Amino acid sequence: MTTPIEAGLLVFVLACGVAAALLRDVLASIIAFSAYSLGIAIIWVFLRAPDVGLTEAAVGAGIMTVLFLLTIAKTVRPAGERTFERVDVRALGVAVALVAVLSTTLFALPAVGAADSAVATDAVTEHYLENAYDETEVKNAVTAVLAAYRGFDTLGEAVVVYAAGVGLLVVLKKEAFE
Amino acid sequence: MTDDTTDPTTDDGEQDRPTSGEPQESADPVAEKPRESVDSVAEEPRESVDSVAEESAGGDELVAEEPPGPYVESPIIMATVRIITPFVFTLGLFVMFHGADSSGGGFQGGVIVGTVVLMLGIAFGIEVTREWIGPRLPVGLVAVGVLVFLTIGVGSVLLGGDFLEYEEYGIHHASKYGIELVELAIGLIVAGIVTGLFFVIAGGMADSEGDLA
Amino acid sequence: MIEAVADRVYYLVAILLLGIGTYMMIGNRNLVKKVIGMNVFQTGIFLFLIVTAYVTDASPPLLTAPEPHVSPLPHVLILTAIVVGVSLTAVALGLIVRIYDEYGTLDEDAIRELVADE
Repeated sequence: MTTPIEAGLLVFVLACGVAAALLRDVLASIIAFSAYSLGIAIIWVFLRAPDVGLTEAAVGAGIMTVLFLLTIAKTVRPAGERTFERVDVRALGVAVALVAVLSTTLFALPAVGAADSAVATDAVTEHYLENAYDETEVKNAVTAVLAAYRGFDTLGEAVVVYAAGVGLLVVLKKEAFE
Repeated sequence: MTDDTTDPTTDDGEQDRPTSGEPQESADPVAEKPRESVDSVAEEPRESVDSVAEESAGGDELVAEEPPGPYVESPIIMATVRIITPFVFTLGLFVMFHGADSSGGGFQGGVIVGTVVLMLGIAFGIEVTREWIGPRLPVGLVAVGVLVFLTIGVGSVLLGGDFLEYEEYGIHHASKYGIELVELAIGLIVAGIVTGLFFVIAGGMADSEGDLA
Repeated sequence: MIEAVADRVYYLVAILLLGIGTYMMIGNRNLVKKVIGMNVFQTGIFLFLIVTAYVTDASPPLLTAPEPHVSPLPHVLILTAIVVGVSLTAVALGLIVRIYDEYGTLDEDAIRELVADE
């Protein structure tokens, strides 16, 4: 069962998401997204994922907010008197249909936190948790998996980050970082 | 024709500008239109470039007034950033080095170190920070990071094992040192990219006139 | 039935976040809000995956903490996905700056008219 704090956090996150969707001013939407990202980072900590929480807090509420603010500083910010946008009915219909279809699968999923769920009792997970220290001499299982067991994926990720930088230079037609 | 026009009511920029009474800097041949006095205090010659640069950023022909750029000269922000920058940098390095035994690692630490440059850019002006960092440092960091990672990975293949098999290196505790080095390389890559992305997006198109301060 | 839903409330929130993200990507006309919607969608997916790894009253996947641990595999997947997501957002924002430079507007309908006129 979820505690009241977790329930409050989930409501806060949903409210920030809806606010980001409905506010007309893009700056207000960005601020709502930043608060949303902070709420999500705290949820990660409650779900026993401190590495992910650190990354989400640094990336979502930090870097991405600054990049968004830079973008609207380079472009425009819509001016107007209305606070909330007009709701687009067709898009709302599509979103509601998506939520309805996915919700039908809700009862096929195991309960949250069940100790006998498929992920928790997986043989690969148990192997990693038992042998991480013996084979890789690090105590953080996430780092062990990231840098040793699944190192190839991490190489791919580093290359994706590198390619994003190069792609951005090409899009903005610059020669180098100058 | 469009719903989005430049917003002349930039109330968030107005409040923390203590120097709005200063005479405006129009030392630039590009800026012909009369402009509102923008925020930069002209203490040094490079500040005048900033003030003009802000005015031409985000300019829209439909509106006569230009919004000020994102840089506002705020003594509070400058003083705060001067004090906390070394601590944030140290925290970033701490998180990078301690990824092996507690939460953290290369990505988190790299992003925190990149945030240091972002803070300096926001406090003191983006153009000034870009000149201080130089054009080659972000590129250099990313290149060194990718090279180190690839060398460690492919090196073990050349020595006869699998990709990224640390035991092939034969050094005592090879796995621990190898993982630490890989985390540092990832941290370098992410820090370099975050810094580079910030300056590239702030720079805008290569042939645009103005630049953000 | 209420018990069953109450046990799975995190999945429901993740699905709702997917819905909000979809609405923002399709229904908002401003391009920057579409990118924000993409990020909301991505965090919804992350929430779904991390919740599958969660075990009640377990400790984080650090081997210094007592047994039992939550599963570390989805955490690794999400770490990679977050960093890829920020790269994606950065390139999307660069494209937005370029689009603004070309067309002078960030409104989707106005851009569609301008492209159709060319």
